[in-house]
Amino acid sequence: MHKTDSIPMAERPERTQILWTTLLVAAACAPFVRYLDGQVTAFLALILAIRLLALRWPAALPNRWIRALLAFAGLGNCLAAYHTVSGQDGGSALLATMLVLKLLELDTKRDLRLVLILLGFLSVVQFLFDESFQLTFYLGLIALGLVTLLTELNGGLGAAGLRPALRVSARLALQAIPLTLVLFVLFPRLTAPLWSLGFDSSKGLTGMSDSMEPGNISELVVNGELAFRVRFAGQRPNSNQLYWRGPVLWTMNGRRWTPGAPPSGWQEPARLIESSEPIEYEIVMEPTKQRWLFALDMPISEPEGAAISPDYQLLSNQPVTALKRYTARSVLSYRTAEPDARVRALALELPDNVTPRMRALVEDWRTQVTDGRSDRADDWTLVQRALAHFNRENFYYTLLPPKLGANPADEFLFETRSGFCEHYASSFALLMRIAGIPSRIVLGYLGGETNAFGGYTIVRQSDAHAWVEVLIEGRGWVRVDPTAAVDPSRIDNRAATELLGAGASVRFDLGEAAALARWMRDLRLLGDTLEANWQNWVLDFSAQDQRRLMDRLGLGAWQEYGLAVLMVLAVSLTLGGILLVLMRERTERDPLEQLYARLCQRLGRVGLPRLPHEGPDDYGQRVAAARPDLASEVGGFLALYVPARYGERLTPETLQRLSDLLRGFTPRTQSVQSAFRGKVTASNGG
Amino acid sequence: MSLHPKSSPIRPQLAERILQEAGAVILGKDHELRLALACLLARGHLLVEDLPGVGKTTLAHLLARLLGLDYSRIQFTSDLLPADVIGVSVYDRASESFRFHSGPIFSQLILADEINRATPKAQSALLEAMEERQVTVEGETRPLPEPFFVIATQNPLFQVGTFPLPESQLDRFLMRIHLGYPAAEQEKALLAGEDRREMVARQQPALTNAELIELQKSVVRLHAAPPIIDYVHAILQFTRGSERFAYGLSPRAGLGLLHAAKSWALLAGRDYVMPEDVQAVLPSVAVHRLTGGEPGQRIGDDEVARFILTNVPV
Repeated sequence: MHKTDSIPMAERPERTQILWTTLLVAAACAPFVRYLDGQVTAFLALILAIRLLALRWPAALPNRWIRALLAFAGLGNCLAAYHTVSGQDGGSALLATMLVLKLLELDTKRDLRLVLILLGFLSVVQFLFDESFQLTFYLGLIALGLVTLLTELNGGLGAAGLRPALRVSARLALQAIPLTLVLFVLFPRLTAPLWSLGFDSSKGLTGMSDSMEPGNISELVVNGELAFRVRFAGQRPNSNQLYWRGPVLWTMNGRRWTPGAPPSGWQEPARLIESSEPIEYEIVMEPTKQRWLFALDMPISEPEGAAISPDYQLLSNQPVTALKRYTARSVLSYRTAEPDARVRALALELPDNVTPRMRALVEDWRTQVTDGRSDRADDWTLVQRALAHFNRENFYYTLLPPKLGANPADEFLFETRSGFCEHYASSFALLMRIAGIPSRIVLGYLGGETNAFGGYTIVRQSDAHAWVEVLIEGRGWVRVDPTAAVDPSRIDNRAATELLGAGASVRFDLGEAAALARWMRDLRLLGDTLEANWQNWVLDFSAQDQRRLMDRLGLGAWQEYGLAVLMVLAVSLTLGGILLVLMRERTERDPLEQLYARLCQRLGRVGLPRLPHEGPDDYGQRVAAARPDLASEVGGFLALYVPARYGERLTPETLQRLSDLLRGFTPRTQSVQSAFRGKVTASNGG
Repeated sequence: MSLHPKSSPIRPQLAERILQEAGAVILGKDHELRLALACLLARGHLLVEDLPGVGKTTLAHLLARLLGLDYSRIQFTSDLLPADVIGVSVYDRASESFRFHSGPIFSQLILADEINRATPKAQSALLEAMEERQVTVEGETRPLPEPFFVIATQNPLFQVGTFPLPESQLDRFLMRIHLGYPAAEQEKALLAGEDRREMVARQQPALTNAELIELQKSVVRLHAAPPIIDYVHAILQFTRGSERFAYGLSPRAGLGLLHAAKSWALLAGRDYVMPEDVQAVLPSVAVHRLTGGEPGQRIGDDEVARFILTNVPV
């Protein structure tokens, strides 16, 4: 207390300044909460609450000892949550904690400035977690508020009060734009991803994994997050043809499908014997930390840095750890080459928990009597019969399947009979292998939502799907989607909404008729378009793009000297330009003069420029004579301006009123006819 | 008229009334009358340059009557001596001492008619008195009355028997104006109207001396904002830098210009100066100091002034 008393009044922060700073800190922390541990969030909320209460009841402000205790508690809290206070998570949690604690110790304006500057740092740290346009925009607003408060606090540039300070900081922000652009374009790109520095922006990624067991696709299906965006070069195929091919699974251990070891020496390239016209498309894929790239079934050309595996997976040479953009071509109908015996053997391997009733079912299909013929059915007929079985029998499609025990395939086929794509695909592939038909599982996505605003298709995690490929003699690998065989009347829509709890992005099917639903959908798609463009133009601006841009600007030769030199040059040029503008401004900094200059400029645009030697009165009279329609507006302005300028009766109100008058003043060039009429009136008056 | 220095002394109606009454006598010369009145309010002396018979004397007389000043006229001739202007000490036998008989200069408004007909010696007697506002005769300094205002008239130099006023003397006049012939309509009205001399004699003073002095003081107090100071300075600088003029305007000319502009603003009922005020008085204040003793035509003055003004941005 004694310390506080010795501080001069002028150096103590005002109550409103503390209030605004606290609110700004709270606003800046709000999006961060998504990535913070719950107990850290709780601590932040507690301290912010104490701070706000102390504004109302100053006695509630903890003294030095309690503050020290709180600081230790905050440190302990972070340690308890993350077991470390370094690294991306622990470090930023500690930063947020300490920043909020500093709010309890705002004895001088210097403290307030410190908080605001740290807040800027905390804002930037958030980009390690999220680079979306939304957050960038939000943090831009926070930065504007921050500069406003700093300006107001320093009383700089004659800005006393928040409103003028806001105007000043808005102008600063506008002036910063060219510099930002120059830095954005020229700043050397890091070719090594940030995670090599111990930071990881792909934290907590949800996405497809390279194995399949009951439950892991249903996790995805409730996840509304983006998987990738596709832009088709030509016509977009129908949704039921959009099978986005991902990992291919060969081995089943009774419960779980895994890729399995490829037969050694399997070098034969993927080969299509027949194919339709290829379609071309560009995909911007979210990071997965996996190597596979999604491509439409079947890919025929690989992008740079990727290859098509023998089982037609599009595999990148490196794991996708950052946003990945690639162009691929696919054919929708095809006939694959037939693999050799080793591959067939791999596709026929059975787990050891195949039950007799499964074998009996398959045998039944094989020997079923159709059309009076009793000879053994061929492979393709068997596939048809299996699909018919799923359709005819009481199979349900639900996202809330009952729990399965040790032998999920058997239990699903004969007891529970409800499940979703992974259950169907898994058991179908297994049944095919029992029947001696080589089969494998393909994971990927099905369909996608068309975004008419951006002209692209959005594929989300919730579009995740699994299907089966069977090898048929003479036809190669054929895609079979057993899930699609389930009778539509037995698809349990209700399940989706039940499973999706609060917070998940539920895609209600409210029907196209509901206007609100349509608007919501449009709004969502519009937001996604914005985000896609942000990714396209900002996040995805790579070193190669930079080089290409330099070449196009004719600055390619400069690259020998290094981008850094170019950047320094550009920045100094920009700063020099700003300095010039500032110096010019100093000579006519007088806001009153600027307003008058703007009036003259606007009149100049309609052919009535002020002569350099013309005084305001003479000018006003000349304007009034030439344009009687403008006389009252110009006269009103000059009646205020002249005494303010020459009588030096300038008050902020006058300035405001002049500025208001000017805002409404946009003279238009007069048509010949009305100009003539004006002249007549003038001469009559004279 | 309030004598409190703080309260606004501006009564535009008063100035308008004076000008209106003067305009009834001297027809069609409103601008010149206004300039003359501005010159007087700025405590400056006025040089009227024109041919005989255009109303110079009437102007001087009229102003004296209107402003309630006592008036004397000195007809300058080639044999005029300084003593004829200032006065002379004569031995008084009754008091057995020299007694000073004050000359015509001890009046509030003096019309120095045809000043360029007198010899330089006589001219300088008057001009020095104008500047000092006092005269020293035989070791004794005698103050001139307040207000003190000289209207000198001058014939165009091409007339025979004239001694041109040197530049330094011309600088003592705040303004030089030309009256010129009246316009046709006004001249006809003049011919048809009554005798101007009688009209002037009938004229009642519109001001007391105290009020006039107060008005002059308020001209001094009138506000000139920094942009006006800048503008006046820019004009001075321009005349000094321009090749058209042998010499630029002196600092005294600058002071006079500002002063006259203030006076002009006061007559317009404003308590601050605008660029237009400076521009209005510039032809009268500046040109006779720039072109030297050669009397130009009126049109010449305006042309010179326009040359300056169009080259100096406001």
